[in-house]
Amino acid sequence: MSAARVDERERIRFDAADAAPAIGFLRRLREGLDAGLDLPEAAARGAAGLPGGARDAVRRAARRRAGGYDEDDWGLDEEFVELVFPFFEFLYDRWWRVETSGVVHVPSHGRALLAANHAGILPWDGTMLSFAIQREHPLPRYPRFLVLNWAFDLPVISVAMRKVGGVVASPYNAFQLLEEDELVAVFPEGVKGAGKPFRERYRLQRFGRGGFVEIALRTRAPIVPVAIVGSEEIYPKLGDAPAVGRLLGAPYFPLTPTFPWLGPLGAVPLPSKWRIEFCEPIPIADYGPNAADDRSLVFELSERVRETIQQKLYENLVKRGSAFL
Amino acid sequence: MAGRRVLITGVGSYLGGALARRLERDPEFEYVAGLDTRRPRVSLESTELIDADIRNAVIARLIPPAEVDTVVHNQIVRRPGPGISPQAMHDINVIGSLQLLAACEKADSVRSIVIRGSAGVYGAEPHAPQFFREEMTRLFPMRTRFQRDVAEIENYFETYSRRHPGAVCTMLRYQPGIGSSQDTQITRYLSLPVVPTYLGFDPRLQFVHEHDALEALVAAVRNPVRGAVNVAAPGTIGLTRMVRLAGRPTLPIVPPLFDGVTGVGKRLGLLDLSDDFTRLLRYGRATDTTRLVEEVGCRPRFTTVEAVRDYLRAQGGRRLLPVLRHAVAP
Repeated sequence: MSAARVDERERIRFDAADAAPAIGFLRRLREGLDAGLDLPEAAARGAAGLPGGARDAVRRAARRRAGGYDEDDWGLDEEFVELVFPFFEFLYDRWWRVETSGVVHVPSHGRALLAANHAGILPWDGTMLSFAIQREHPLPRYPRFLVLNWAFDLPVISVAMRKVGGVVASPYNAFQLLEEDELVAVFPEGVKGAGKPFRERYRLQRFGRGGFVEIALRTRAPIVPVAIVGSEEIYPKLGDAPAVGRLLGAPYFPLTPTFPWLGPLGAVPLPSKWRIEFCEPIPIADYGPNAADDRSLVFELSERVRETIQQKLYENLVKRGSAFL
Repeated sequence: MAGRRVLITGVGSYLGGALARRLERDPEFEYVAGLDTRRPRVSLESTELIDADIRNAVIARLIPPAEVDTVVHNQIVRRPGPGISPQAMHDINVIGSLQLLAACEKADSVRSIVIRGSAGVYGAEPHAPQFFREEMTRLFPMRTRFQRDVAEIENYFETYSRRHPGAVCTMLRYQPGIGSSQDTQITRYLSLPVVPTYLGFDPRLQFVHEHDALEALVAAVRNPVRGAVNVAAPGTIGLTRMVRLAGRPTLPIVPPLFDGVTGVGKRLGLLDLSDDFTRLLRYGRATDTTRLVEEVGCRPRFTTVEAVRDYLRAQGGRRLLPVLRHAVAP
C-alpha cells in the first residue's frame, strides 16, 4: 500500500472525532470511497465515530453486505431472525396483542411436532407461533414450520420465510428435521385451511390423510396440538376468483375487504386479537415402530389431535371475546 | 488379486486427466486406458490413449481387446459451451452412452462401470425436499432437455446392470463443480463483471469442490456400489451470500424478464446460461450425501461454503497452489 493511501486513512480517523455523528459518518464514508475502499469497508470504517447502537448496526450491515453471515443447512439465518425481532415484537405485542398459554408443553430439547390450525396464504400464524416460543419459553428455540409449497414460488416472501425457519411442506423434510431432533410445526389442514372462507373460520378442515401422525409415529416425536385464535380473521376471505388464481398458478385467489382492491396494502393483515394455546403433548413413544402402518391408529390419533385443537379453539374464542378490540 | 485394468472415457477433460494420472501412479492398477478425441490436459506417463469418438460404433471394436474390468464413464457434457451445440451435447451424452454400453456388452471382462452423472436429474424445484436422497428422482416432471437426457442415460445403465448381474453400475450424481482449475458454469458465472440474479429469490445452492470430485471418482472405482450416489459438498450456500463473498455486483431481474435479458446477453456473447443453470439460479438444489460417505467411503474435505471460499481465495490474486496437487503427489 502506498504511503499516500495510509496518510489518507490516518486523516479519516483523525477527523472522526470532531464532526457531528451523522454528518461525520457520511463524510468519512465518502472519503473512504474516494480512498479506494469498497462500500462495506468504507461504511464500517466510517461508523467509528457514531454512537454505540448505530455504530454496531452499520458495522453489522456492512459485514452482511460483504457476505459475512451464516445460514444453516435449512436456510435459517439466526442473525436475520434477530434483525426482524423488533418487527415481530411489534406484531406480537401491539398489532395482534397475542396472549400465549401452555408454552411449557413445548419440550425444551429433543424432537417434537407442533400441529396447529391454519388460515391465510401468508404464514403469519407460523411466524407468530415461532415467535411465541422464542419469547415465552424458558429455554427458547427456533421451531421450523412447514409452509404451503406454493408460497415458495413467490419472490421475496420465499426468502424471508426460509430465513426465519420456514421449510417446504414435504414429508421428507418433516421426517429429516425430526430425525435431527428439531422442533417442527405443521398445519395439517394444508391448503384447505389456507383457502377457508370467512364464515367457516375456526372450523377445522379435514386433516388430509394423517401424514403428520405417520411421521410422528415413525420418528417417535410427541405431538403438541396448538390452537391459534385470531389468525383466521386477519384476511377475511369473502370470495374467490379461481380464474385469476389459475392464471397465477396459485391454489386460489382470495378476495378480502382490502385485497386486491388496495393493491399491496391489501396484504396488510387486520389487527385482530390473538390467543395461542399449546396443549398437552400426545405421547407417541408407547407405540411400536410399525404403528405408522396401522391405518386405524393413524386416523384415530389424527382425529384426537383435531378434536383437541377444535375444543381449545372454542374455549379460547370465548375467553377472547371481541375479535378486534 | 492381479492388477486392475481401467478404461476412462473423456480423459481429455480436467477430471478425466486427473483421474488417469492418479490411477497410473497407484500400484493397485496395472493398466489405464483413456478414450477421447481431445488430448489430455495433464501429462500422462503410462496411460494408453485411444483416440476415438465415443459416438462412433468403432469403440465396440476398440474396447473389448483392452480387457478392462472397470469402465469410468466421464464423458457426460454438462453445458453447451463454445464449440458444443445443444445438439452435439445431446449426441455425446445419449448416443455416446449407448455406444459405450454396446461396447461393454461385448467385453466380458467388465465387472464395474462408474458413471459420472449429474444431480441435474432431480431438477430444481420450488417445492423440492431440502435434501434430495437417491431414491427421489421421480418427484417432479422433467423440465429441461439435459435433465431428460440424464434420466435416459440412467435408464440405460440400470437396464444394463439388470441384464448383467455380475457387473456393478455406480451412478454418481454430481452437483455442479467448483474449483480454480476447472471451467464450469458456476466459475464462469462468478467471473462475470455483473452477475444476473432473479429479483427476490435467494436459492440454496450446493457444489462439489474439484478435489472432492476426483476423490469421489477414485473411491467409487475402488469400491463400486450398486445404484445411484449423490456427490456433493455437505451443506448449502445462499446465492446472495456467495455473490457477496465474491464481491460481485448483481443485476436483479424480475423473473418474467430474466430469460429475455440473459438472452440478449447471450446474443452479445457475454454469457451463456443453460436452462438447468437458470433454474438453479431461481430455485436451487441440495442433495443428501449420506450414501457417499457411508457406502462409498468418501468423506468430502470441503463443505459447500468452504469450497466457494477456497475457489474465491484462489481467484483473489493470492493464488495458492491448486489443492489438487497436494492430493495427487505420491
